[in-house]
Amino acid sequence: MTSLNFKPRVPVFDANLRVGDLRDEPAPYRNRDELLAELDRHGVERALIYHAQAENISPIDGNNYLEAWLGDDGRTYPQWMVMPTADSLSQIQSLHAEGRVDCVRLFDTGQRDLPFRPWAYNTLLSWLSESRIPVWIPLLDADADDLVTTLQAYPDLVSVLVGAHYVHALWVRPVLTALPNAHLELSRYEPICEIEALRDEFGAERLVYGSWYSRYAMGPMLFYLHHTNLSDAELASVCAGNLEHILQGGTQ
Amino acid sequence: MIDGTQVIDFHGHVGRWDPLGMKDDPDLMLHAMDSAGIDKSCLFNIFHPDGTTGNDLLARFVAQYPDRFIGFAYVSPMMPERMIPELTRAIDELKFPAIKLYPPYTPWPFNQPQWHPIYEFADERGLAVLFHTNGGVLSRPRYLAEIAPRYPNAKFVAGHSGNTAEPRAEAIAAAQAHPNVYLETCSTYRTPGVIEQLVNEAGADRVLFGSDTTLMDPRPQLGKIITARISDDAKRQILGGNARRLLGL
Repeated sequence: MTSLNFKPRVPVFDANLRVGDLRDEPAPYRNRDELLAELDRHGVERALIYHAQAENISPIDGNNYLEAWLGDDGRTYPQWMVMPTADSLSQIQSLHAEGRVDCVRLFDTGQRDLPFRPWAYNTLLSWLSESRIPVWIPLLDADADDLVTTLQAYPDLVSVLVGAHYVHALWVRPVLTALPNAHLELSRYEPICEIEALRDEFGAERLVYGSWYSRYAMGPMLFYLHHTNLSDAELASVCAGNLEHILQGGTQ
Repeated sequence: MIDGTQVIDFHGHVGRWDPLGMKDDPDLMLHAMDSAGIDKSCLFNIFHPDGTTGNDLLARFVAQYPDRFIGFAYVSPMMPERMIPELTRAIDELKFPAIKLYPPYTPWPFNQPQWHPIYEFADERGLAVLFHTNGGVLSRPRYLAEIAPRYPNAKFVAGHSGNTAEPRAEAIAAAQAHPNVYLETCSTYRTPGVIEQLVNEAGADRVLFGSDTTLMDPRPQLGKIITARISDDAKRQILGGNARRLLGL
């Protein structure tokens, strides 16, 4: 039953939330308290967060800025950005030595003409795979062939594919078929009835809720998921359980 | 129906566009609509410049569920001799209550003379005209501020409300300046605060819920309205009240 006002009926752990300002786009909230207020307004308990500057300018600086957004209340979890350079990997390895790395997010090096290929990413992906650290991979400008052939070279590496859009409609099924350890984050995936269809074909355990706030409004995809024919158990998995499993190093 | 409000989706497509996952399967559409409380979807077929081919396909589609689907007439200035005869047929015979126009499938910005016969027709009949609007030169919302005062009996709707910040500001300015300009909400961008901006700056009585079904599932687009920081009364107007008024339902 739809109402003019919406709150989720299952616990929610957002798998894709950006904090801080992009260089050309201020965030709609200025500090952690304001972010938590927006989480509360939408009934979201926890969020995996990365810093906008890590996506926009420098993974290393962005990761440093992220520290200010991490409280000790268990509501925000760090997602460190990484790129295939010695400096970036060294930063992540230091954090890992402190027991602070549950996942990483790949900086899109394609925007600087370094493709997502094993010859460019082997050192990084080998270490992530050996360390059982799951990796989030934005799809905005990704190359499908690079994505599949590279990830197939690291079959134990767990991945979350972020931001699939209707322009990726031809990709999604063959990519999920070719990569059994890949999950699909849902913030932009709007082809009609496709979330239910992907649940039928691949199982709810392959789907992960993310809002991609503040790129997108926080509520719409959460509302959508609550108005599908996913069972409550499936909904709970998509909204939180699958992410918890991934962060604990789980594979399919 | 949502909390007693009849919900009308003002922006929807028929015709398949398989590479983007767009499937005009009525079973899928009704499942999505029923899952979220959407009562009616306004639909159009923009893939045929003659107008007639798409309008006839649409009429057959709507006839499957006439209480759930509403057809909008489509014509194009790419075939100017057909525009008015086809609009007359679509409105009078097919009983479509409004017009959809898609400037990106033409070489002409929608303020150019090639489009004016359509606006004269809409003005004479008091019809709503839904445009695709965005930041492209063919579809800038600022053109609404030129044409709206010239055709005061027509109602002009900025589809996507311009989509991004700068053209959205143009759409809002046109709505503020002219009482026959309206703003429709569907957009793949789903930028935070946009629904609130439209309501606060143009007024809830000028905003229409649309989804872009079947290119996009209507549920997340409905979620934009439901989860916006606006009053319940504003939500009721956006979700259905304004559309009923424009379409004379």
